[in-house]
Amino acid sequence: MYLAAQGLALKYPNTANYVFKNLSFKLAEPGFNALFGPSGVGKTSLAKIITGEIHTFSGDIRSKGMQTCLYSYNLERLPGWSSVGKHLEKITPPARRSRRDELISVFGLEELIGKRFSRLSLGQQNRVNLLRYLLQDFHLLIMDESLANVDELTREKIILKIKDMYPEAYFLYISHNVVEVSKLCNEIIVLRGGLKEPSATVVPGRNFMTGQEMERAELEQTMLEIVNASS
Amino acid sequence: MKKIQMQKAFPVILLTIMLIVSFPGSRIGTAEAAEKVSYRLKWLFNMSVAGDIYADVHQFFARQGLKVTIKEGGPERDAIRELELGRAQFGVASADQVIRAVSKGATVVVIAQLFQVNPLQWMYRTDRMKIERLGDLKGHTLGVTFGGNDEAILKTLLAKANLTENDVTLFSVRYDYTPFFKKKVNFWPVYRNTQAVFLGQKLRQAGEDFAFFNPADHGVRFVANSVVTSKTMLEKRPDTVRKFTVALLRGWQAAMDQANAQKTIKTLQQYDRDSTLETLQEQLDITRRLIHPKASIPVGEIDVAAWKQTEKIMLDQRQIPGPVNVERYLKAIPEY
Amino acid sequence: MLLHRRIYQFFIIYLLAVAFLFLIKYGLDLSDYVIPGPVDVWHTGTREFSRYFSDVMNTMMVAVIGQVISIFLALLVGITGRQATWIGSFTKAAAYNVQAYPIVALAPIIFILLGDGIISRLLIAAMICYFPLLLSVIGIMSEPISDIEHFYRVTGRMRWQLEVKIRAFENMNKLTTVVAGSATLAMAGTIVAEFIAANAGIGYSIRIALFQSDLAKILIALFLIGITLSVYQGLLEVIGYLIEKGWAAK
Repeated sequence: MYLAAQGLALKYPNTANYVFKNLSFKLAEPGFNALFGPSGVGKTSLAKIITGEIHTFSGDIRSKGMQTCLYSYNLERLPGWSSVGKHLEKITPPARRSRRDELISVFGLEELIGKRFSRLSLGQQNRVNLLRYLLQDFHLLIMDESLANVDELTREKIILKIKDMYPEAYFLYISHNVVEVSKLCNEIIVLRGGLKEPSATVVPGRNFMTGQEMERAELEQTMLEIVNASS
Repeated sequence: MKKIQMQKAFPVILLTIMLIVSFPGSRIGTAEAAEKVSYRLKWLFNMSVAGDIYADVHQFFARQGLKVTIKEGGPERDAIRELELGRAQFGVASADQVIRAVSKGATVVVIAQLFQVNPLQWMYRTDRMKIERLGDLKGHTLGVTFGGNDEAILKTLLAKANLTENDVTLFSVRYDYTPFFKKKVNFWPVYRNTQAVFLGQKLRQAGEDFAFFNPADHGVRFVANSVVTSKTMLEKRPDTVRKFTVALLRGWQAAMDQANAQKTIKTLQQYDRDSTLETLQEQLDITRRLIHPKASIPVGEIDVAAWKQTEKIMLDQRQIPGPVNVERYLKAIPEY
Repeated sequence: MLLHRRIYQFFIIYLLAVAFLFLIKYGLDLSDYVIPGPVDVWHTGTREFSRYFSDVMNTMMVAVIGQVISIFLALLVGITGRQATWIGSFTKAAAYNVQAYPIVALAPIIFILLGDGIISRLLIAAMICYFPLLLSVIGIMSEPISDIEHFYRVTGRMRWQLEVKIRAFENMNKLTTVVAGSATLAMAGTIVAEFIAANAGIGYSIRIALFQSDLAKILIALFLIGITLSVYQGLLEVIGYLIEKGWAAK
């Protein structure tokens, strides 16, 4: 199973300007990876190319064994007519009920199960949304700022848990937090925008796992590489 | 917030009201040097207004030094209201309108009566019913416009014949003639000189025999259209009223003169473009019989007895709360 | 809440309008024939109240049924027409076309075909209030609520019923407003129909009052129409609010 892009280019509609150009990367192993870069460099566009929602690009994108790619983002909402718990009940395949309960506890959502989505804080809403995607079938899950407005400690706890629970799946985590991606992600695709060629560089992350020790210097080195790559 | 808006809006509202209140009032009082007057008709331009148009087109008003603006009427127009509001100086109103208005304190004066015979009559199929006496109406389905003059007239006729509403079937008539064409109803109210002409043409084409039922033949003389002005006008500009009446009646007389038939039709054709020449000719012949039935009676003569009867009918049917003595509001026509 | 506010708002508007008429009447010294006096209006009111009230109820009943029909029709067409399929655009085009004809021109044909009974009034009421409803429903139904629908779409869970449910729920306020607003149109449509050709209802009574140049009766009719409509619209809003609340509480 792999996902590979070769020489991808995407133009803004009706202009000669590129969102990105000559973009290549390869995710050969399952793991928790990141799509990193400032706003406007085409992170969401790339995500949509991967999930097949955008077709107007040139270049080559190839995958093997990756039938189900899900894209989730941080502004999604649950329908207003039922509570969080009822909704989760409905969209959880029977075989994953125990996983759901485990995730609810790791995500710290037990108290919110009876509440309506609109009553939750933004961070709570984002956690609920991510949680329901994790209960679906997927080979690749793209998490577009899916943990925005969640405090750092909880975020880290959630990501570590995801890595433990889904060793066979691919993740693409879109985030602006350089420390977070450096520390937790396996590979970081750094997007540099359409004016630079190539538009992306892949930087290896520290891929920190539960229980590991983290070398401060190594982390700083990775962060530096990411910053250099994106500038 | 809302309070402030109200406070701001109040002077504006007050000003608007004052403007509206003061504007028409000032118009009524001032004499117009050019002798311009407005004349509001009762209905759309058709044969029933032939004389009015004739007087205008053939300079009868101009010869009296008047510049008359003739305004078309319609279902929502009410000449008496316009007189009072100063929007017209003369108008055409039906007798029941006049009586109702004076009973509510309007100061309207009748200066001429256009129709000597009410054109509102009933058309009926002679193979379906024979009407020689009023009693012959018994058992038939009779078309009537509820709320209209024909209702008052028909009820008076029934009362005269000692018939109650249980002895006949009243069918509510609207603008659509289908029930009459389909022979669901064979006794249908029509304006004798206008609608009845093209309805008659259709019936003749279908080979059907028909006749007209004229309430006047059975002693019910309900007055139709008359020319009215306001009391103020009569008091402040009697000369204008006299000139107007003279010009108008001369116009009507000329229009109804057999010798002028072609001229009248030509004049009307400028306004009523929908009717065929054949229709207009037939309409004119019938209109003449309703406006000027006898040479001895001048066109425009006010039939005081018929007015009194009209008032009595309305009083009997409680259309007015008490007697108004309508004869006090009728002004004899001048010699012309 | 909503209901009593509607009613007192109507009272204020009506009283202001009548007061304005009286102001003109006395300011210009007009006779009771042009504008009836307060006593006349009061007497007419007490005399005609029960008759006109039952007329208004009669009209109201036709208007309500007409409105319900057009709500269903608008939902049906709106839901079918929301899709960019051939049948969707055909339905939309047909729905727009029917409305392109002015009802005043269609009414005589309807009355000739269906007679001047209740069916004609019903049809005209439904036709008049149907179009604004349809426009809103099509507008609402063809506007995706991406933030909610995305999940169902990418996980293959989206069904048309769910899509309709999401869009209706998210636009409940708009729908309630449009439905309440269309009540006025249904009522106006029924009155126009009665005015033109029917043998019953307040529109018919208004026509007769107009024959008799009786403005006092018209004022009473307007009052009854207004108050009934206010109550009905208020009730619709309350129902909309309760549906939204009940739906949310499930």
